[in-house]
Formats: sequence, structure tokens, C-alpha cells
Amino acid sequence: MSSIPRQDELAPAPGANGDGDSAEVRYSQLRELIVGPELAKLDAIKLRLDDPQARAEDLSKSIAEAVGIRARQDRKLQVALQPLIEEALRISVARDPAMLATSLFPIIGEAVRKAVAKALRGSFDSLNQMLDRSVSFEAWRWRLEAWRSGKSFGEIALTRSVGYRVEQVFLIHRETGLLIQYAAASQGVVADTDLISGMLTAIQDFVRDSFGVKKSDELEVMEVGEFKLWLQHGPLVLLASVVSGLPPPELRQVFEREIEAIHARFGPQLQAFDGDPAPLAGVSANLQRCLLGRKEAKEAGKSHKFAYVLAALALLLMVLLGLRIRDNRRWTAYVQNLRSEPGIVVTDAQRRWTSYSVNGLRDPLAPDPKELLTAYSIPPEKVAAHWEPYLSLDPKFSATRKVELLRDSVNKQVLRFEVNSAQLRTDQFGMLDIIADQITQLQRAALADGQKAVIEVYGHADRTGQEDRNTMLSQGRAETVARMLHQRGIPSDLLAPAGRGTLDPEHESGDYPSELDRRVTFRVITSPAVAAQ
Amino acid sequence: MIQKKICMVGTFGVGKTSLVARFVRSIFSDKYHTTIGVKIDKKQLVVEGQEVTLMLWDLAGEDAVTQVRPAHLRGAAGYILVADGTRSATLDAAIDLRERVAAELGDVPFIFVINKADLREEWQVTDASLESLSQRDWSYLLASAKTGEKVEQLFLDLAGRILKPAHGGPASALDAANA
Repeated sequence: MSSIPRQDELAPAPGANGDGDSAEVRYSQLRELIVGPELAKLDAIKLRLDDPQARAEDLSKSIAEAVGIRARQDRKLQVALQPLIEEALRISVARDPAMLATSLFPIIGEAVRKAVAKALRGSFDSLNQMLDRSVSFEAWRWRLEAWRSGKSFGEIALTRSVGYRVEQVFLIHRETGLLIQYAAASQGVVADTDLISGMLTAIQDFVRDSFGVKKSDELEVMEVGEFKLWLQHGPLVLLASVVSGLPPPELRQVFEREIEAIHARFGPQLQAFDGDPAPLAGVSANLQRCLLGRKEAKEAGKSHKFAYVLAALALLLMVLLGLRIRDNRRWTAYVQNLRSEPGIVVTDAQRRWTSYSVNGLRDPLAPDPKELLTAYSIPPEKVAAHWEPYLSLDPKFSATRKVELLRDSVNKQVLRFEVNSAQLRTDQFGMLDIIADQITQLQRAALADGQKAVIEVYGHADRTGQEDRNTMLSQGRAETVARMLHQRGIPSDLLAPAGRGTLDPEHESGDYPSELDRRVTFRVITSPAVAAQ
Repeated sequence: MIQKKICMVGTFGVGKTSLVARFVRSIFSDKYHTTIGVKIDKKQLVVEGQEVTLMLWDLAGEDAVTQVRPAHLRGAAGYILVADGTRSATLDAAIDLRERVAAELGDVPFIFVINKADLREEWQVTDASLESLSQRDWSYLLASAKTGEKVEQLFLDLAGRILKPAHGGPASALDAANA
């Protein structure tokens, strides 16, 4: 019964059975009054939360914004969506390949075309080098090395190739044109790397705008003097490499590989790049790997050497040609001179590769053709000459010949003497007259030939008697004859008497009459008359 | 070192290049403008103890035929709008240009510069128009490339605002400077 008075307390209104009910009704009315609107809202919210349809409608209003916000925050959404998208694509292709094909159709042709064009260009680029390599000894050595070490030929070629060097490598942020990292093997090709990075980006835009090419077409090579600027384009960064010399085509693959590696490893940092290169310091390892090659300018040296050899050969050829022309001239002049020489008749003159030959007739009085050679600087041992002797009727020779004739006869004359007497035997007077006459003629002929003839008159004695006496006797005999010749009109200055004693006996030995030694002999000395004039 | 790309934009002949030339010594010739449409210079600054390299993209001035290339604006951390105080049309053009630049770059710091402060008596730009800039919460500077007035400050202020991510609102320092 204790509960009843409690009820009374709670429900002060006395009366009917419905007392308890009415309290509850009133409580609920109160509640209705105080939180009624909120309850209605709660119900509506409850309805929205419970009803999937309503919730979906709600979500649909904000899902796009939510995805956008999240995508800006980090990459988790992308990672989460990746399998879904892949799966969706797979399902789509499995269900209806035509649909995806239709969607891809407008771009697939372009993509294939570009890929094929690039591949073709690559092979044309390397065509020269391929040809080079197929024949060069060096390339075969590389092939051997590649086969031995199990590496690819390209790898060996890259490390062994001389004649190129990657001088500088720039990693440039594509959007801002800011330089992220930079590596150099040498100093000074590009001085201000920051500015160049910016300008490179600007020039790309300029080229694209100017040539009206599609956005996907990129500037890939620039050449400045001996330097090539190779540009590798990634979605976020640009790898610009300054290469000197003749880089092998494999080098481009190295750059492509590195830029892919950079994207794979530093993708988020590149996405978030705001001008601070610190988070990307790790790329320097990639860039260092691009600094390949060692330029020893071998190719250039080779071609220079070749040019030098060529020039030297040309020079040599010119010198040889010049020498030959000079020798020809000399030979022609020599032969010309021979032809104009009296007493020489050239019947045949030839210039062979290294020697000369000349044939003809020569008067013994004519000058020796061999001696004439020296005047033309032609070595005598190179000249084969055959001269048939003949007598020239040239007036020059008739005078000379006459002098020689008279000289020979005067030289043969002998005058005899008595024992121990310097007096000419009377029977010798006729002979003396003949000799005087011959000497006179000789003098005249010599004068006509431009010569001077001096007659040495030798007196001789037999071997009997004293030496002194003999000498005096021979001297006396010579002077006697000289005097007598002078008396017959020979100028005394052209007569040179000399006593020979017993020095020149008639015969060297044997028995012969000693009277043969008692004699006077003559020797004609002719010389050019220059001194006399 | 941190690098930031900054674009100089404005109508043809307002003095963008002269402002840059006051600030740095150029290695490229002005011919770049007519050929490839942009000239890039760089300047190293120390802003509040932090070193920063500004890459100044001096874009070819806009005229009837030349439009600013959006590609050149891409990635800029801030920009400088230049107008010529002696030609009020250039101010309107700059305001119009800002719309396009903001569409490309979004909400990045920028400074409005009215150049040729040395020719104040020839100015067409009125105080009222300047007031309208203030009302837009835009910070502006009256500078002179000829005398160098405020040029250094212009770049320093912009660099400072770029390096402080919470740049919102007008820079009070600038207002004080303009007072």
C-alpha cells in the first residue's frame, strides 16, 4: 500500500481512475511543449540517417567537393581509388571492349604515330653510328667485351665511347621553370644555371606557340656550336643535358631512365614543389649518373690527323711535281744547248722516269757533253749517252784541226848534231827551214783559232862524256836552234830553249848509235790566247 | 636555396622592364620580349633572415595584338601588376589583367605598382582611383623606375608576403609606406 500515497503525491489532482493516465498525458504534453520542435528535427535526421536513399542524396551534394579537398591534402584517395578504377576498367573491357576502343580511338592513332615517329627518328639518329660500329675495330672489341662480361653492347658503348661528354645536367620544374637540381662535369658551358632553366621553359612555350604544334609535342634537341642540348620531358620535370662531342644514341635512354626514376621516387615532392629544393636533394644521385662520357676529342683528333696527312700528301705531290717540271726544263735546256753546239749532232734525247738518255754524233774537238751537264745541275750518272765520233766541217774546227795537225808535225821534228858540237850540221839546214816554215804556219793558225803556241826547244846530248859538259852542250844546241829559228822569222818570245842533257835519250835502253841522242826536239805548248791579249 | 617565380605584367610601355632593370643587372637583352615574349632575370634577397632567389619573368607588355601567354604565368608564386601613373588607361588595363592572371594563378600574393612616381604632376591617375584600389583590399605602391623610388621595397615586400603563407588581406606595411 505504500505505493498508492506516492501516486497521490505525484498526481495531486484527486478523482477518477484515469488520474495516473492524465499525469502521463500532461508530462508528454509538457515535453511536447519544451522539446517538441527539436524532436521533430531529430526524427527527420533519424529518417535521413536510416534511409539509404536519403543519405545518398545528401552525400551526392558534397562528394565532389570532398574528393577535391582530400586530393589536395594527400594522395591517399588516389591510392585507395586505384584498384577500383583498374577493376572498373577491367570490367568495362570485359563487358564491352568496343566502348573503350571507341573512347580511345581519337587519341590512339596519335599516340601510336608519335611512338613510331620517335622510334624511327631514334634509329635514323643512330644509323651513322651503327654503320660506323659495324666496321670499326673498336666496336668489335666492345662486342667482345660485352660478350665476355655479359653486359649489353649499349652499356659497354656508353662507358667506352670517347668523343662525347655530358657537361651539365639540369633538372627543371616544368610548371615554374625553376631549377631543382644541377650537376656538372665541367665548368663554364652554361654560366647562370637558374636563368637558363627559366629561359629554357620560356623557349619551349615560344616554340610551341610559334610552330603551332600540339601541346604534347616538345622541343627535344638544340645545337649550339659543339654542344647539344638534349631535353627529356617528364610530366613534372624536364631534364636538360648539355652534351659535347658525338654522343651515342644509348645516352638518350640513360636520360629517359633517370627521369622516370626521378618521377617514381620523388613524385609527391615534385607535386608539392614550391621553390624549395631541399626535399628533392636526393635527385642529385640521379643527375650524377647522367654525367657520362669522357671527351678526349678522339674523333676530332682523328679527322684533324687525317686532314694533316692529306695536306702533307698534297704538299709532297706538289713538290714532286715541281721538281719534275724543273728537271724537265733543265733537260730540255741542256739538249737545246747540245744541239746549238758546233760539232755535236743530237739524234735522240729522252727523259725517262729517273734517268735520261741522249744519242748522237760528236766531233772529237767539240766540248764534252758530260761536262756541260754540270751547268744544268743534272747528275752525270743519270745520263746514258752514246756519241758516234765524226768530223765536223764547222769552220771553228778546221782552224783547231789545222793547229793540231801542225803541232803534231812540229813535235815530231828532230835536228841532228856532230859529236861534241853545238853547231847544227849543214845537212840539217833544209830540215830547219821546213821546221821554221811549219812553226810559222802553226803560229798563224793558232792566232786564227784564238790560241797562242809556244815552242819549247829541247837540246839533248849523248851519254858519253861528263855530265856538266853534256848539259852545257845540250843547252848550246837548243839555243843554236832557237837563234836560227829567230833568224828565220819566229819571234824569240815564242821560243823556249832548254838543255836536257842526257835526260831524254832517244831510246830508254839497248844498243843504238849514240849519234841519235845528239839532237834537238820540239814540243808545242798551246794555250788560249787570253793572256796575250 | 628557395626560389620563387614572379611575373611582371602590365600594358605595353608602363615600365615593367625598367623596374626590373632598376632591381637587377640583366644578362639578356630586351630583344627577348619581341622574340620569345619574355625575359627572365634573377635576384637574390634576404627576407627576414631567409635567403630567397626571385626569378623575375618580365612578360612582354600587352597591347592590341599581344596577349599575356598563360604558359608564362604558370607556377608563379606571386606577381606584380604594373601601371603607368601618367596614363590612366593602363590602370584600368591592369585591373582587367589581374582578373585573367588570378584566373590562371589563383589566390597568390601580388602587388599593384603605379610607375612613374617621379612625374607626379603629369599624372592622370587620380587619388580617387587609388582609393578604389584600397577599397578592393589591394596593396599598391607608387614607384619610380627612373629614380628608383620604392623599387627595392616592392620586390622585398612581395617576397616577404610569398614566404609567409598567411598573406591574406592588404599589407599594412604598404599602406603605411604609401601614407
